[in-house]
Amino acid sequence: MDYYTGAILRALQLIFTLDSELIQVVTTSLKISISSTFIASIISIPLAILIARNKFKTKKFINIILNTMLSLPTVVVGIFVYSLISRRGVLGEFDLLFTPLGIIIGQVILIIPLITALVRNVIFSMDEKLYKTATSMGASRSQKFKLLILEARYGIIGAVIAGFGRVLGEIGVSMMLGGNIKGVTRTITTAMSLETNKGRFAFALSLGIILLSLSFLINFVTYFLQEGKNYARR
Amino acid sequence: MLEDKIIEVKKLKKICEDKTILDIDQFSILKNKFNFIIGGNGSGKTSLLNILSLVDQNYQGELYYEGHKIKKDQQNLDLRRKFSVIWQDPYLYRGNVFYNIALPLKLRDFEQEVINKKVKEIAAKLEITELLEQSAYTLSGGEKQKTSIARALITSPEILFVDEATTNLDEESIQFFNSHFSNLVTDEMTVVMVSHDRRQIKQLADRITLLKGGSIDTVKTVNNFNFELFGAGIDTPLAELV
Repeated sequence: MDYYTGAILRALQLIFTLDSELIQVVTTSLKISISSTFIASIISIPLAILIARNKFKTKKFINIILNTMLSLPTVVVGIFVYSLISRRGVLGEFDLLFTPLGIIIGQVILIIPLITALVRNVIFSMDEKLYKTATSMGASRSQKFKLLILEARYGIIGAVIAGFGRVLGEIGVSMMLGGNIKGVTRTITTAMSLETNKGRFAFALSLGIILLSLSFLINFVTYFLQEGKNYARR
Repeated sequence: MLEDKIIEVKKLKKICEDKTILDIDQFSILKNKFNFIIGGNGSGKTSLLNILSLVDQNYQGELYYEGHKIKKDQQNLDLRRKFSVIWQDPYLYRGNVFYNIALPLKLRDFEQEVINKKVKEIAAKLEITELLEQSAYTLSGGEKQKTSIARALITSPEILFVDEATTNLDEESIQFFNSHFSNLVTDEMTVVMVSHDRRQIKQLADRITLLKGGSIDTVKTVNNFNFELFGAGIDTPLAELV
């Protein structure tokens, strides 16, 4: 019991003294996660609007594929991207394996279905009168798009945050494509796995506390945006 | 006469999921007049209004604005900006009342100073000045409709389309609408109004078109409209009064 109490105290000490190694792992993790979420959002948001607002023959099929990909295991994405960016892969010449960019590619693929599906649902649930009113007010196509984004902003931000939460806490992609290189591709989750195996339990625990705190913060913001005060006023 | 017609419709058909919603051979909107469209539920009134106001461009047939054919495959932005619509159940955007009233002017890139002036003017006319800073989501039905009327009128549209604007309102709001509406509309404005309200028809109509099953049944001018029939009792179907 003393071992665990000691580990928790040591973990808290590492956090409050802003241990440099700890900070490095957390910043690497945040940089990679923010980059992949940003890129995935740029692709997913217009894609989701396209799917939600248009009628086309393969729409049902695309929606089924999209929903299936929501539960995509991270290791499957890891293997898939590994086959592309490893030396023998079609993108092998770019030396992306075991680089932050390699992880970002994998994470982007991982969360595109998630953000797309969530934003699609938000857009789909928007009142049809929104579009009719915008047309009747004399809005151009781009102005209608802008109005739609503005109206759906809280839902869209919620979807993006959910995507960020998913990549921040995943380990499969980061481990397989990043290689857990200290100071380069070592993220919170890969470091936790490694440090636990090495017996540095307090260090792993401090990362766990930070990850849990970030997850709480993400969920708190998501809840506030989707169910909180502003949302309830609708 | 051709010069009196601001919008003309020829061989108009609207089909939704194999069902014919509208089938109109010829129909026109008279310039600077109150054009009423009446009819029972499912007669195609709102569908016709959506097409005339260019909100719905998915139809068969031809539409003319002052003798010029309207191209369906285009945005028709310039033309749409001459029109405004007041909806039965208005949609207000996130933000306060001021933002909602100002939106059409913002879309037309008006300067902020002009926007401020125009919003204050129209809000005063509709007696909603004290609501300008209030969130649109906190408004009552009547206040929402006043805001949407202000939003529709702020651009001084050439044609104002009104889709059963008072159907969901309480008696007080209906009375406000009926007593103020003719003052809010200028002589240069053409009004196309879908309504069930006999008082509005009696008070405002220049021409009344009755739709039945998606087709035009009767068109009458105000002069040969039998106002005495209004005393026939509130339950008498409106279509029988025309």
